[in-house]
Amino acid sequence: MRRSYLLFLAVLAAPAARAAIPAQDESCLGCHGSDPTMTMDLPGVPAADGKAQPEKLSIYVEEQSFAKSVHGDILKCTDCHEDKKDYPHESKPFKTKRDVTVAFYEQCKKCHFSNYTKTLDGVHYQLAQKGNRQAALCVDCHGSHAIGHPGEPRTRVSSTCAGCHTKVAETYAKSVHGKALTEGNNDVPVCTDCHRAHDVSDPRAGALSLRTVDICGRCHTDERLMKRYGLSTKVVGTYLSDFHGMEASLQKGKRNKGERLAPGCTDCHGVHNILPPNDPASTVMQANLVQTCQKCHPTATASFPKAWMSHYEPSLKKSPLVWSVQLFYYMLIPFILLSLVIQIALHLWRVVVNR
Amino acid sequence: MSDRSVAAETQFFVRFGAKQRIEHFITMIDFVGLVATGLPQKFYTAHWAQSLIATLGGIDQVRWLHRFFGIVLLVSVLVHGAGAVSAILSRRVGFSMAVNKRDFFDVVKTIRYYLGLEDHPAPFDRYDYKQKWEYWSLMIGNVIMILSGLTLMYPAVAARFAPGEVIPAAKVAHSNEGLMAFLVITIWHIFNAHLHPDVFPFDACIFTGKISRERMEHEHPLELARVEGRPPPAPGHGH
Repeated sequence: MRRSYLLFLAVLAAPAARAAIPAQDESCLGCHGSDPTMTMDLPGVPAADGKAQPEKLSIYVEEQSFAKSVHGDILKCTDCHEDKKDYPHESKPFKTKRDVTVAFYEQCKKCHFSNYTKTLDGVHYQLAQKGNRQAALCVDCHGSHAIGHPGEPRTRVSSTCAGCHTKVAETYAKSVHGKALTEGNNDVPVCTDCHRAHDVSDPRAGALSLRTVDICGRCHTDERLMKRYGLSTKVVGTYLSDFHGMEASLQKGKRNKGERLAPGCTDCHGVHNILPPNDPASTVMQANLVQTCQKCHPTATASFPKAWMSHYEPSLKKSPLVWSVQLFYYMLIPFILLSLVIQIALHLWRVVVNR
Repeated sequence: MSDRSVAAETQFFVRFGAKQRIEHFITMIDFVGLVATGLPQKFYTAHWAQSLIATLGGIDQVRWLHRFFGIVLLVSVLVHGAGAVSAILSRRVGFSMAVNKRDFFDVVKTIRYYLGLEDHPAPFDRYDYKQKWEYWSLMIGNVIMILSGLTLMYPAVAARFAPGEVIPAAKVAHSNEGLMAFLVITIWHIFNAHLHPDVFPFDACIFTGKISRERMEHEHPLELARVEGRPPPAPGHGH
């Protein structure tokens, strides 16, 4: 719905954009839009040996790509480059290209305030606060002049994160989700579906692993979606009704010293390397299960994985013992309680009659 | 199963010795502890369960408490079992808890009495069929709870001796047997020890160890006659 609306707008806006964009009202593009080799020399920061590595900052803006960007119809150059209203203009004393990017971090929040505040809860911002200048800022993911709609196409999200998170991206690309994504499947999660885009939480703390029930459950309890792949939607329910799910739900990410967090989806299925259970490399493949259990149950032996009912509800076929015990109590409990209550009722009735 | 003596002047009989009273007291406290730390785990999605768990210091704390109470139960069952076996083997006492043919007739007779088909309730000996039923239910239940509880406590060890499927089966058994025990105690035991017209509001016998002659005549006429060396009373002596 939203997409078609945007498309409609784009059709309307496209001829206009070609004719004139707000940026053309200013004379900036006269210089910055004409020479692709236009650069500015930055001195660089002195390294350990005292020598600075000078850098060249491109100050050319391709008019067409800016016009096509999400901001093309809205923004003028000076909306972001506020201090460049006059000519000639001095540049701030930037030493490196990174300095420029860092300086512009605060620019986007003028309009994108809610997403900006979300980043303040994100792991990238936390790292930046600690002095890590490589931590991703707005333009690192979104670009600067050629900003497109986020997630279009979805493959771009994963390739954007891959820019820094190379190893993880390689692992993901080989997973059941990553493989499908490269085959053009739009149902599978990309990085931001699990990690979120702006308030990316630190996955090492364990809080994300506890949220996996909601995260994975979003798709894996969706009947229509799962039907397409012949997958069960009972995976979350069976997990929650079992020991691990109970423990994980109640811990809510809080643990005391020396305590281990109960496993969420990713502890058994893997994180970026999730594979279908019939893949020989899958952590939940029958032959690999003992090893997976041993992560938490170091003394687990070959018969131990059968303790986990593989997300199946107890049935006569899959787990006859569990099914029988359950049936036994489903019959015994009402029978016993009913007999006791009837006896008490009769007893009291007789007491009343006697009086 | 205990020595009993007649305190004729006060017309009280000693029904339970110190060991039995202590055992009941420990079982009572332990049972409350097990229920308070066990039921919230079974119904963990409910609001009351989550606030109880939070009050008790979080799920990990609750699990440790539950195991502690479980081990107390294990020890008390072993002590009780060993005591009972040695007492019977040494022939110090008869096995008054043993279920016999008479108990089944007593069930029928009592139900007939409730329905108005008999004029008098069945006369009972030291333990009536309800008490025997509760005792044996508790004992069998305890054994189930202890075995399934140990299986859940040491799943990797259990899987070494038995197929892995015993672990989820033990969970189902533990969870349902525990719920049943809770319901039986709240309905049956609370009725018989508190709300029963003969003892309302509170049957203190298991705490003081003493029972009055009047109650003996009503509830355990056969035992009274045996203790006093008389022949069993004629029907009609009861309620």
